[in-house]
Amino acid sequence: MLKNYFKIAIAVLRRRKFFTVISLFGISFTLTILMVLTAFINKVVGDDYPDKKRDRSLYITRLEEDGPTNMSSAGPSFYFLNHYAAGLKIPVKIAISSNFNGTNTYVNNKKIAVNYKYTNADYWDVLEYDFTEGKAFSKQQVENAEKVAVISTDMKNAYFGDESSVVGRYIEADNVKYRVCGVVKNVPITSYMTYSDIYLPYTVSKMDYNYKGYRGGYMGILLANSKSDLSKMHDEYEQMIQKIPMESKEFNRMYSHADTYITSYVDTGNEKQSGVLIVLTVIGVFAFILMLLPTLNLVNINITRIMERSSEIGVRKAFGASSKILVYQFIVENLILTLLGGLIGTILSIAIIKFINSENLIPNLELSLNLTVLFIGLIICLVFGFLSGVYPAWRMSKLNVVTALKA
Amino acid sequence: MLKHLFKLIWNKKKQNLLLISEMLISFLVIFAVFTLLIYDYQNYRKPMGIDYENVWVVNYNNSFNTDNTDSLNLFYETMVRTIKSLPQIKEISFSSDNTAFSQNTNTGGITIKNKRVDNINWYTVDDNYQKVLNMQMLEGRWFNKGDAVARDIHIVINSVLKEKIFGKNNAVGEFIEDRDNKTRSQVIGVVNAVKMKGDFAKTEPGLYSRTDTGSFRWLGKILVKVNPGTNAAFESQLYKMLANYMKNSNVEIEHMDNKLKSANYWYLVPMIVLLIVAGFLIVNVALGLFGVLWYNINKRRGEIGLRRAIGASGKSVSVQLVGESMILATLSLIVGSFFAVQFPLLNVFDLPASVYLAAIFLSVLFIYLLVFVCSLYPGKQAAAIYPAVALHEE
Amino acid sequence: MISLQNIQKVYRTNTIETLALNSINLNIRKGEFLSIMGPSGCGKSTLLNIMGLLDAPSKGDIKIDDQKLDHLSDKQLAQFRNKKLGFIFQSYHLINDLIVLDNVSLPLLYRTSSEKERKQSATDALEKVGLSNRVKHFPTQLSGGQKQRVAIARAVVGRPEIILADEPTGNLDSAMGNEVMDILLHLNKSEGTTIVMVTHDEHMAKKTHRLVRLFDGSQVQ
Repeated sequence: MLKNYFKIAIAVLRRRKFFTVISLFGISFTLTILMVLTAFINKVVGDDYPDKKRDRSLYITRLEEDGPTNMSSAGPSFYFLNHYAAGLKIPVKIAISSNFNGTNTYVNNKKIAVNYKYTNADYWDVLEYDFTEGKAFSKQQVENAEKVAVISTDMKNAYFGDESSVVGRYIEADNVKYRVCGVVKNVPITSYMTYSDIYLPYTVSKMDYNYKGYRGGYMGILLANSKSDLSKMHDEYEQMIQKIPMESKEFNRMYSHADTYITSYVDTGNEKQSGVLIVLTVIGVFAFILMLLPTLNLVNINITRIMERSSEIGVRKAFGASSKILVYQFIVENLILTLLGGLIGTILSIAIIKFINSENLIPNLELSLNLTVLFIGLIICLVFGFLSGVYPAWRMSKLNVVTALKA
Repeated sequence: MLKHLFKLIWNKKKQNLLLISEMLISFLVIFAVFTLLIYDYQNYRKPMGIDYENVWVVNYNNSFNTDNTDSLNLFYETMVRTIKSLPQIKEISFSSDNTAFSQNTNTGGITIKNKRVDNINWYTVDDNYQKVLNMQMLEGRWFNKGDAVARDIHIVINSVLKEKIFGKNNAVGEFIEDRDNKTRSQVIGVVNAVKMKGDFAKTEPGLYSRTDTGSFRWLGKILVKVNPGTNAAFESQLYKMLANYMKNSNVEIEHMDNKLKSANYWYLVPMIVLLIVAGFLIVNVALGLFGVLWYNINKRRGEIGLRRAIGASGKSVSVQLVGESMILATLSLIVGSFFAVQFPLLNVFDLPASVYLAAIFLSVLFIYLLVFVCSLYPGKQAAAIYPAVALHEE
Repeated sequence: MISLQNIQKVYRTNTIETLALNSINLNIRKGEFLSIMGPSGCGKSTLLNIMGLLDAPSKGDIKIDDQKLDHLSDKQLAQFRNKKLGFIFQSYHLINDLIVLDNVSLPLLYRTSSEKERKQSATDALEKVGLSNRVKHFPTQLSGGQKQRVAIARAVVGRPEIILADEPTGNLDSAMGNEVMDILLHLNKSEGTTIVMVTHDEHMAKKTHRLVRLFDGSQVQ
């Protein structure tokens, strides 16, 4: 039976080449756009370099203090994280690092823009960077405020050129000479929490890290023992926030959260609206509109195709096909068409992703077409095929045999 | 003839409904695209308001720790003199963090004649700021040393803010209260507004206040105007000088034209993505329209043959068919325009009505053109049908 | 075999009522070859459609093989048609996208049978109508007479007890028409298939067992 449907589907598609081309064009392009978008999201959400222990980590990126006349919001300060957050019971380790900032260095009369980040020693245990050379700085080195630096591969190439090994060499940034102790694999800037060109011990920071204000330019990552501890750890942090005394008379409420990666990543600073909800809504609306026109188009074309075949439908009905069977046949035909379009779309997606990666549009952001993306693509295909086939199929099944044969 | 066409379309309204919905949604998509394009283009055409070529932005922090205001001022005055002595420097000015093309914003509100105005960008700058950026004064004057000892606090407002609170009247000499409704400030000048977020951004209300002796505690940016052609070697020299002078500070030097490129990125990328997606959607719709019209005409071969047999010329047949499509388009455009015109009426997103109206006009034109082109070829094919052949096929 | 009692068919539009069939009473015996004749618009095709369960009467009863058929669902009707009825249309209504063999085996698709069985039955049916050498052709490559023969093969491939033919020779010239008529007569004699044929051709009608004439929806003669 299925083989018969397949034969007829191919025959119809070949006979009405124009309609087939339009339908395939619509489906494949919609699918390509949706799959490239999915690949992007998948990369941002799923890429777990360097935070491989993401499933048992919570991120603290914001501290907001509210008063009757004003409100201030920024990252927590080093002092806040080191003094309060580090005192929590459930986390086994806490990574503290500054947000990355820019400075310059001048080499051979060439200017290089450098992004730098200050970290504590545990940062390198919580996160798992891939070291192509050397290693991270140790607790001892941090305590001694040694002028050592971990640099990214891109930084190494920009500063030292083609040299094979740079550990032990000196790199000057921000008018200070640091000794390179390790080189790590690049992190794309879209992973803004862990991205930098140079990582330095916080003790060499020119800013006073003992400044006792609650807000500063830092962020923290709490590492739990296991995934099951996450919600307990989240709650422990929330409770701690409630108990901390206000910094000054200006403020009477404080907000801060230790959230999962995604929630932190899309945090908009709005206490009432979830960032995740906003992002999902935007993506959902975009995908919906993107699919709406091609679906309508396909529905239109499908109805046209059905009307063309009304005599065939009448004959089938006369010889014993019930409405259900005919609807089934048509949907299968439509699914074959959509899956074909999906195949073309997948090939196109691969080509586009290869192009985006090779052109390095966002440096170090390597998109890949993994199984998740393909699977989602397939689901979209089937949804598409179903949506664009159901209404025309329903219309068709209502055709009276006699009128169909007369047409 | 028109009435006849309307009758035809009305009798087949169910069939045509899908087609009309497709045209309607296409119109809405094109409307959105044109709105964005026109808005960005309108903004692009407005003057930047500043000369950003050869202007560098120096970022620094916590350089000099002292409670003594005098020694603080002496520290910075010395630094300014040292910088200005360098050969390539033309002019320098201190500024609050919300410099042009940066991600920083500082907004507040004022009260004037007991009315509150919010969302005003607040800039703290010194006497040389206007010269460094070559900003254009429209009324009055910029700050000078005399403002330090004036009786009232002197401020400069930009053209957008001036228009908002004073309309066409003179602003110089007027008084406003600042956010706390406590201190009174007097307007001494009106400056042309700046597109602070990039080439495609709109100008926003802005208020400039003058740095005072206490400002050096928190300021962190210096704008430096250099001679054209100044190279990295000099920049390195300046950098070293600053870093050595402010030993406890992180120093960064940025070029304002690079910052502009990054700022524009935020507008260009969504625009390009939108154009690509919209382009694909429209091609899709065009092909679909073409196919459906083609099929419809083929189905009506008998009708067309008959019309030719009773005396219609080939040309009138194609006119009829193209006309039917255009009427369908008109029906969908009427509904679409009804929706679209709500945007300027309800002042959505605060965009000027002119943007929306221009977008509606262009979108209507676009859809008509699209439908016309898609129905032209099938229409011509219809005209070529031989009546005898068509009628015989029945 | 087929029993029609007081069949009435009324077509209603928004404003007009047309009485297509008026109190038709007809009994057709098993193995009978019946012709229905009448001027255009007298309701013969309507009558045939009702007999073939393609359309329902406004009033009256219809029984096929002593089975009452008014309470059957769409699915049950379809199954009934599939097992007991075969159709031949004036304009053939072959599916142009399928080869002759697949066209003929179409009714078998809606029964449970294997690919092999279907192929065998279809080949046999085509042999009966003398088209074994056109098995893999497309309908567009056949002449009118050949197309109608394919349609006949399709109508008999499932070995139905009743065949309903609506002007089967209407689009054919006299030679081909005679050929088709011969096949139908042979089918009726050798297999005992009940055939009801609507025709304009007095000459063809005379070759059948019985002739029923319709005029303005009513039986005459």
